[in-house]
Amino acid sequence: MLKNIARRLKRNKRGVSNVMVVMLSLVLVVIVVDNIVLWDYQMNQLDWERMQEKIEITAVSVDTGSRFTIQNTGSQTAHLVSLWILDNSLKNHQRYDLNIFINAGDTFQLARSDIILPETPYIVKIVTEKGNAAVYTGPKPVISSLAFSP
Amino acid sequence: MSRTFLNNNRGVTPVLSSLLLTVVAVAAMSIATTATYVITNNLRDTMSERVIIEDVWFNNQTRTIDVYIRNIGKTAIQVKAVYVNYTSQVFTKPFNLEIGQHKWLIIEEDWTPGSLYHVNMVTTRGTHVEEYSTAP
Repeated sequence: MLKNIARRLKRNKRGVSNVMVVMLSLVLVVIVVDNIVLWDYQMNQLDWERMQEKIEITAVSVDTGSRFTIQNTGSQTAHLVSLWILDNSLKNHQRYDLNIFINAGDTFQLARSDIILPETPYIVKIVTEKGNAAVYTGPKPVISSLAFSP
Repeated sequence: MSRTFLNNNRGVTPVLSSLLLTVVAVAAMSIATTATYVITNNLRDTMSERVIIEDVWFNNQTRTIDVYIRNIGKTAIQVKAVYVNYTSQVFTKPFNLEIGQHKWLIIEEDWTPGSLYHVNMVTTRGTHVEEYSTAP
């Protein structure tokens, strides 16, 4: 009985091409899914992380250089990459490279001896790797009582 | 024995046809796979573009609008066109940014103090980055 069925199946080639077409189509579908859906998921994850990131410049003070207090109020670790000092008289926009990581909820004291804040009103802007920015509009800087350590 | 085998041509056609079909199927599949990969790769690159404007500086010395751009996406970009107040502008070309790269883009547009400017940059894949800024 089983022998007969096996023999009949061996001879009957109907439907084989359909199976092959389905298999080959599956390969194409896997490539599409891999390239589009998974990548889209990754980018959505990146955008979501970007939305969760939030930093604030809570204080700017002056000593021999400048001291910036930055707080990470978001739920993601922030990677600071740029510091801008914008002279409000707009004579100069100065950019400084940063490479600082601040954990979620932490506060970081950035002391820079090479940054001299202008006498005129200024704006301090800090940009993260994910593209978020914190802005501090400078009233006259308060002289810091803390000792400056570069 | 071998002479009989060589002289016997029966069954050659089915073998040839099967072989030919296999070659055609493999070629078709290769073309389909490559086309799918190329098309989806372009889509993937388009989805991966993320660009931000770090700063817009109305430069008093050069009388140009200087825009600092950073590529925060997962693919290299090229800025194809720049519009200021919906008018195409001349800028430093070619302007390419690798992943994570950042630099100034200088727009040769004389600006008027106190005016509002809408800066719009378009990449080769069609991503827009826009910013409103008032000249000091």
